[in-house]
Amino acid sequence: MRRVALVRLAWAVPILLGVSLVAFVLMRALPGDFAQAMAGTAAGVTPEFLDSIRADLGLNQPLWQQYFTWLGHALQGDLGTSFVTKRPVTGELFSRLLVTAELTLIAAVMAMLIGVTTGLVSARLRGRADWIIRGFNGLVVAVPNFVVATLIVLLAGLYLPSLGIFNYTPFATDPLANIGSMLLPALSLGLGVSVTISENTRAAVLEVSSQDYVMVAQAKGLRKRTILRNYLVKNALTPVITVTGLQVAALLGGSILIETIFTIPGMGQFLFDSVTSRDYPVVQGVVLITATVVVLVNVLVDIAYARVDARVSYE
Amino acid sequence: MSLPISSETAVAQGLPDGHPLLSRRHILRWGLAGGGALLLAACSTDNTETSSGSSTPAGSGGPKRGGTLNIGADADPIGLDPKTTAAFSSYDFLGLMYTGLLRWTADMTIEPDLAVSYDNPDDKTYIFHLRDGVKFHNGQDFTADDVKFTFDRIFDPATTNRLASTFATVKAVTVVDPKTVKFELKQADAAFLSYMATNPDGVIVPKGVSDLDNKPVGTGPFIFDSYNPNQDFTLKANPDYYEEGQPYLDTVVFKFFKDQSSLTSALRSKAIDMTWLKDPKVASQVAKTAPDLVSAPGQTSRTFPVWFGMTQKPLDDVKVRRALSLATDRAACVETVLAGSGKVGAMLPESQVGGYDGTSELPYYQRDVEAAKKLLAEAGHPDGIDLGDYVVVAANDLDVQCAQILQQQWSEAGIKVNLKPTETAPLLDAWAKGSYTALSVALSWSPDPDAIVQRLTSTNTYGEAMGMKDSQLDTMAVDARAELDVSKRAAAYQQIQERIADQAYVLQVYQYPLRWEMWWGYVKGYEALAANIRTFVRTTWLDK
Amino acid sequence: MSESSSARITLTSEQETAAAPAAAPASGPTKRRRRRSGGRGLLILGLVMLTVMTVVTVCGSWIAPYDPTKTSAESLSGPSSAHWLGTDSIGRDVLSRLIIGGRTTLLIALIAVALAVAAGLLLGLLSGYLGGVVDQIVMRALDVVFAFPVFLLAIAVVAALGPTVPNLILTIAIVYTPIMARVVRGPVLSVKRLDHVEAARSIGIREVTIVRRHVLPMVISPVLVETSLTLSHTIFTVTALSFLGLGPPPPDPNWGGMLSEARQFMEIAPLTVIGPAAAIVFATLTFIVLANGLREMLDVAGRS
Repeated sequence: MRRVALVRLAWAVPILLGVSLVAFVLMRALPGDFAQAMAGTAAGVTPEFLDSIRADLGLNQPLWQQYFTWLGHALQGDLGTSFVTKRPVTGELFSRLLVTAELTLIAAVMAMLIGVTTGLVSARLRGRADWIIRGFNGLVVAVPNFVVATLIVLLAGLYLPSLGIFNYTPFATDPLANIGSMLLPALSLGLGVSVTISENTRAAVLEVSSQDYVMVAQAKGLRKRTILRNYLVKNALTPVITVTGLQVAALLGGSILIETIFTIPGMGQFLFDSVTSRDYPVVQGVVLITATVVVLVNVLVDIAYARVDARVSYE
Repeated sequence: MSLPISSETAVAQGLPDGHPLLSRRHILRWGLAGGGALLLAACSTDNTETSSGSSTPAGSGGPKRGGTLNIGADADPIGLDPKTTAAFSSYDFLGLMYTGLLRWTADMTIEPDLAVSYDNPDDKTYIFHLRDGVKFHNGQDFTADDVKFTFDRIFDPATTNRLASTFATVKAVTVVDPKTVKFELKQADAAFLSYMATNPDGVIVPKGVSDLDNKPVGTGPFIFDSYNPNQDFTLKANPDYYEEGQPYLDTVVFKFFKDQSSLTSALRSKAIDMTWLKDPKVASQVAKTAPDLVSAPGQTSRTFPVWFGMTQKPLDDVKVRRALSLATDRAACVETVLAGSGKVGAMLPESQVGGYDGTSELPYYQRDVEAAKKLLAEAGHPDGIDLGDYVVVAANDLDVQCAQILQQQWSEAGIKVNLKPTETAPLLDAWAKGSYTALSVALSWSPDPDAIVQRLTSTNTYGEAMGMKDSQLDTMAVDARAELDVSKRAAAYQQIQERIADQAYVLQVYQYPLRWEMWWGYVKGYEALAANIRTFVRTTWLDK
Repeated sequence: MSESSSARITLTSEQETAAAPAAAPASGPTKRRRRRSGGRGLLILGLVMLTVMTVVTVCGSWIAPYDPTKTSAESLSGPSSAHWLGTDSIGRDVLSRLIIGGRTTLLIALIAVALAVAAGLLLGLLSGYLGGVVDQIVMRALDVVFAFPVFLLAIAVVAALGPTVPNLILTIAIVYTPIMARVVRGPVLSVKRLDHVEAARSIGIREVTIVRRHVLPMVISPVLVETSLTLSHTIFTVTALSFLGLGPPPPDPNWGGMLSEARQFMEIAPLTVIGPAAAIVFATLTFIVLANGLREMLDVAGRS
């Protein structure tokens, strides 16, 4: 068990190296570069001027040299300086990561709350409530997050134009306003995920309640609520938590669209802008960090599944 | 729909030759861009109130002090050193922190700023007399040394500066005394003063201060406070600003909203007090739904051109290019894409010296599909022609919309194109290298018409890439830049535009204000400027 | 290893937020039967929706009231008897654009998924069946691809290649091939150790024949389900890319592009937003319903 975990962690290193190389090559394969994007149509832009910008940024060095210079610094925790903001990428990325992490966390919590509640209600009440919830889930799962976000923006624009839904407030300025400004984006991000959790909760609860030990407990005269708490929640929610963990990667990917629509200064928006402006250090940094998060989550999920499976086969 | 500050008003406000003000201490010559009139005026340094004042309140008891103005911006700055950045998105911020020897007034005439006046002993010499008691934001005194330092930086042979070609006619900058600086030019240059008045091209940076990209130090009405990329950019009032009483605001905060719909929504919810919108359709709609909003489209500052790659077939043939021009219904584009809030365009927007007013008839401007087909047949394409890719900036919705209409109009004359919306960086690359057949990238306001016309000369990178080989046009461009008489200069640019339209080197479709500025009624004393920067935040105050 | 790969299947198939509800493991023959009958209902519903979509798409040119690219000066007019859903910013009929717009979106999704399935089958079979070094190389290469969120990878590839229909197809095929390969590899690993497969091998039947006769049939069910699910994901990816301005070039309409364009004018013409939004949801829903119907009919979860 521990060995498996260690092996998988060891594999993470070459994987991340591969990711950094792919990101590097992909960015350089994009036509046009930062010098062009920055200079725009300004008067007096000559090839010599563009070359001088490139030279300043080290873009005139051979590609392999650029990659290894970047890699060498990255290994020491220095991801270079953003071409656009002229600031160190590491610090900038960290603050962006926090924003995206917060958005993802709020989305995950909302998804958990919605998902577990509807799942439990669905499994416990059955009948019409079950049908309504499952029907709703079936529909919601087909609405992509950017469509949810667009519709939210539309409704707010039509009916509540004074509601400042684009008023992102940094956490340090006003924590409450910050969380308030995150709720609608988090809802658009988390709604789809809540369906997965809801369906899993429902299935798990149904599955567990038909198990022998639950029936035994019921026969022993334990109160229904106690059974639910003691057995169901503990046993049924393990896979649910795993599913939530798995969805972190999905949430990270979805943040590009949601942050762009709601103008939240997180990683997703940072990445998209930087691809457009050909800000190579930022793109490479964001990709590396995102990949690290995804790889770590994968490892954790593998370990968690190994545990769940061990328990299942032991029984 | 009306564009409030048209060239006619600008001409009317210009003072004719022989005006009494000429008898003041110095004989000064201020170039007037706008309608092609010549403004000769004595400088009056302490006239700080804005002139035409379309938004200045009547009888509300003068400006109130204090408060924070929130401005919605759609792009982050790229670099804050006014002498090295070429990014248009940086100019809004630089425009409030830095000032130059001269500046543009609301109706696009030139007035003194850090200079109190200048002498012009001959066509090639300008002697500027500098303002007393001006301090940079770091407390350093502003002197002639800073002016010299600024230009030494531009011409430093160790670096390649964008402005070196802008100020290519400058031969020497000499400090006469701490309050006097002399510019000697290689030749007479009508564009020189325009560039000097333009922010950030002509602004002055402090001697001996480095890292301006991260810590801007200027002489402007506002001081850099903080910047959080993608979030906000904060400026504080400069207590030592040299114009009495200004600025009225305590704080100016730029908030970033990357797309137009969030910008509109933020304006509606008053998360921001002012912004500018790109799409005239959206802007006029927003203005209609909220009567408290002041809507100021300003003068036309942007044209939408189709550049032709003439180094190869078939666009090396003037007949094919003329056919394209004849196949284009410019008025329909103005109607559909701009909802009428623009004018038919030529090479220069109306806010430039000699700018085309959209009314007089230029060669091959009247749509005639039959004539277009006939020209095509003469050029050896009786069954129509396929031009291949037509490249447009994917991020500019208006451009993409107009390109689709053009595609349709041209197809009616048998000219096929394949639309290719492209990211900005690779598009500009193709433009600079000439690797395109038809390409649209709009030029926003330039300090001087010469900057625009230059792009069609055979010696220019872009002109060469296009395949320009018109020596007559080259000469016309040189002569126009050297012409100091503004009305003669305007006439020269009219001829240049006629030649361009006749040869159809570029197909210009329409012109309109790049920035349709809007602000809530409680924002007073602000003026939209065709130069596309917000210098009038210095006279802005809040009446809340 | 097989536990981890089954876990990974879940991860990748749920990677987009528009994921299908995960089916609970089946237990007992009664339940399985009940599920199958529910599955049939879903499958039929899915097929009906698919038929509707196919008919509208294929016969679009006859159904659409206007030429979807024909502009007019009558821009952003609200719904009327002439234009049921109004017109867009340059005066084109929104309904016609919706009908024709599905063609591009679905075409990209279908061809891309077909390519991804073919490539994924090949890679997954090779990797799972040959095992050893080949398996290690293929799986580690796929790990690198998996470390990118799908959507991020798609953005980068499209931006590098340029947004045209063939490039979009290629991008989406590249992005979804690893997922397919994983889906195939898992069952192959378990199938090749089954007794009758071992037996076939011991009596000297050629490997190609073994794969065709014994391995492929076992892999078909999960692949079918995954294909349908992936189709719903590709609808998401295509429309989301177009939404960000990386879709097929104008003037041909596509849903994601229409939605993004309409956002600017949503207060003036809300229907221009609702239309494409509804179309995207309908297409996604179709493939999810199909996937769930197939899953329950074929009882994939129970078998693996």
